Amino acid sequence: MLRRTALAATALLAAGALLLTACTGGGSSPDPTTTSEPDTDASAIIRLVLEPGNLDIRETAGAALDQILVDNIYQGLVSRTPEQDIVPALAEDWEVSEDGLTYTFTLREGVTFHDGQDLTPQDVVWSLTTRKNTPEWRDSARLANVATIVADGQDIVLTLTAPDSSLLWNLTGRAGLILKEADTVDYQTKANGTGPFVLDTWRQGDSITFARNDAYWGEPAQVAEVVFDYIPDNQAALNAALAGEVDAVTGFDANLKEQVEATGDFALVLGQSTDKGTLAFNQASGPLADQRVRQAIRQAIDHEAFVESGQSGETLYGPIPSLDPGYEDLADVAPYDPEAARALLAEAGVEDLTLQLTIPSFYSTTIPQILVSDLNEVGITLEVNSVDFPTWLNDVYVNKDYDLSFVLHTEARDFENWANPDYYFTYDNPEVQRLYAESLAATDEAEAADLLADAARIVAEDAAADWLYNGASVVAVGTNITGMPSVNVNERLNLAELAKSDG
Amino acid sequence: MIRYALTRLSLLLLGLLVASVLIFLTLRVLPGDIAQLIAGTNSTAEQVEAIRERLGLNQPLPAQYLEWIGGVFRGDLGSSLLTGSSVTSELAEKSQVTVPLGILSLTIALLFSLPLGVLSAMRRGRRAGTALSVGAQALAAVPVVWAGMMLVVVFAVWLGWLPAQGFPRAGWQDPAAAFRSLLLPALTIGIVEGAMLMRFVRSATMQAVGQDYVRTAAAKGLTRNTALIRHGLPNVGLSVITVLGLQVAGIIVGAVVIEQLFSLPGIGRMLVADVSARDLPKVQGELLVLTGFVLVVGFVVDLVHRVIDPRQREAT
Repeated sequence: MLRRTALAATALLAAGALLLTACTGGGSSPDPTTTSEPDTDASAIIRLVLEPGNLDIRETAGAALDQILVDNIYQGLVSRTPEQDIVPALAEDWEVSEDGLTYTFTLREGVTFHDGQDLTPQDVVWSLTTRKNTPEWRDSARLANVATIVADGQDIVLTLTAPDSSLLWNLTGRAGLILKEADTVDYQTKANGTGPFVLDTWRQGDSITFARNDAYWGEPAQVAEVVFDYIPDNQAALNAALAGEVDAVTGFDANLKEQVEATGDFALVLGQSTDKGTLAFNQASGPLADQRVRQAIRQAIDHEAFVESGQSGETLYGPIPSLDPGYEDLADVAPYDPEAARALLAEAGVEDLTLQLTIPSFYSTTIPQILVSDLNEVGITLEVNSVDFPTWLNDVYVNKDYDLSFVLHTEARDFENWANPDYYFTYDNPEVQRLYAESLAATDEAEAADLLADAARIVAEDAAADWLYNGASVVAVGTNITGMPSVNVNERLNLAELAKSDG
Repeated sequence: MIRYALTRLSLLLLGLLVASVLIFLTLRVLPGDIAQLIAGTNSTAEQVEAIRERLGLNQPLPAQYLEWIGGVFRGDLGSSLLTGSSVTSELAEKSQVTVPLGILSLTIALLFSLPLGVLSAMRRGRRAGTALSVGAQALAAVPVVWAGMMLVVVFAVWLGWLPAQGFPRAGWQDPAAAFRSLLLPALTIGIVEGAMLMRFVRSATMQAVGQDYVRTAAAKGLTRNTALIRHGLPNVGLSVITVLGLQVAGIIVGAVVIEQLFSLPGIGRMLVADVSARDLPKVQGELLVLTGFVLVVGFVVDLVHRVIDPRQREAT
């Protein structure tokens, strides 16, 4: 008897779940803008996926730190908008000399750190100098061209040994963050910056809470606090949204659009990103050393299928995504053509090729599935080796012990890796390295971008890797939330404008 | 009895020592290390080496082990390489979630498995008994994850009675909210563990039914059910206590899965995060405590068994 009841209950549940999905079919997407007044006492809860291991912005790598700490807690002289434009931050203004060798920043006055200490020009000089001279600090090499850093009143003057078209951009990231000189704060678990939010609490394994910085030098934040709730699983995040436990969900799955919009409390927003789904080829030796084999793999892969399965993002056929300078559509370099792929493999004399794909286990299993079936189509057997991220770092990144590797490279403007023969991409083309160096040395932005575009085309033509897709930022935003960033949120989540209304 | 307890205790300590070596070595076999994770994917070998040196990862393994185990004997289980916080304080904080979760799960499991298990044995051969038995079989085979998802869909998303995930930020300062947030996770573990326990209770009861002493009691004029309840059940209780030790281990494993699913800041979720961060000093401290806990439960179960089972008492 009980068994029947249990079975019936199960069937009911399953049917109900289907119903829940089905009912939402015709729902119109709600408008994320709101008419009611923002509530400045509000607490906004944002779902994030990956919790940082610690908060040491000086030393610990990982987009999970940049995402929440840069702009909100720590600031540099300059910052970047989601659209990747460079804007003033702690510097009111800056000037670059004609020859590109001298940068003069005018430091804002009246800026204080979260602990109440004043920001002085000396703090800026100390921060940049220490960053440059401490190899263990992230991105210290990005200041390699800087020869001297001095303060002259409120002016901070950087002189360079050679022009560096990436310097301003680099200063918007870790390399340019300004800390208090000789600060005694425990950077691993606490923070002391100049941004619009103050680190309130970090409940490890659960959430991080930021409170509004009432002594902020600029426009104060519109919410009293922001809670970053770390929920790894997308289904759990969907449930949290439906139960009204979060106000915005980042890193979401666009396939769940109908479910999350069903109640009318959320709207799914797709933004561009610099996430590059990179299928790296170990071309140091073996069959992958042959350009024809790599090209065959690229042409065997149906790139549209990745966009289709994720219901988001766009195709990408070269190393530079559309948000970055130097982008051009390189679809002509590797069109989907299994027939051509088979011909290339025959020409290269490759038969019964078996390759291993090393892929961190947190990515969707759809990715290896598509690859296995596409490559099987042209006679390549792909074995999937799903590993945890530290293992990937060890095997692929450090030891370069792999055939094919997949990871999502989220960083913006990271072309440098294609010009670095020691990088795990194992790609070594002196022409690309020369073009990249010239692009860095260019004093004109357009010229620098053109040189990058030339280099990127060569990388694509060499089939140095394949790019499965350019991901999108998928964010479900509560209809009572405004100012939630939607572009490249894996990299940066600037919450200065975030507001929540009672509605 | 005391001699037995002492022998058993020395076995426990020996077991812990062996476990500490195994834990230490197994973790060292994991590929990848924390220095590389800290340095990330834009780092040189020299930078990684500098971090490794600072964290003391370059010391020989025996030295690392001795340093750790020496600390354990002084009551220091070690600390995180990432945040510097001590294993003891982290465990104390996270156990505020996991311990109540475990107790609640076990209570739920016992509450329905004991009466239903006995009932299904007593009604065996009849429809109710068969239904109970098959139901338990089916429930025990349900993956914990699926059970949890279904409960969330019904009680959190549809009915809105209970939170879908998470633990209140105020913790136990808000006891009602904290309790509510543990209810669905505990129900999930409790149902799955309880179903297994129920099958065990059922077979133990059936066994008791066939025993001579129950038959004798019945022959002396008691109804079969009364005979079973008066004379059979104490023996069932004994077997259940034995299996409870195993159930506790099962609940710890269940907590690791369930804390992920419900985003609960407990020991299980911390353990998974620490392993993926390769924060080995922290992981080994945590694992040692968990192993110790399971061993101690086994120890207590054995002692209790001795105390309440007259046959075993006389044997010593």
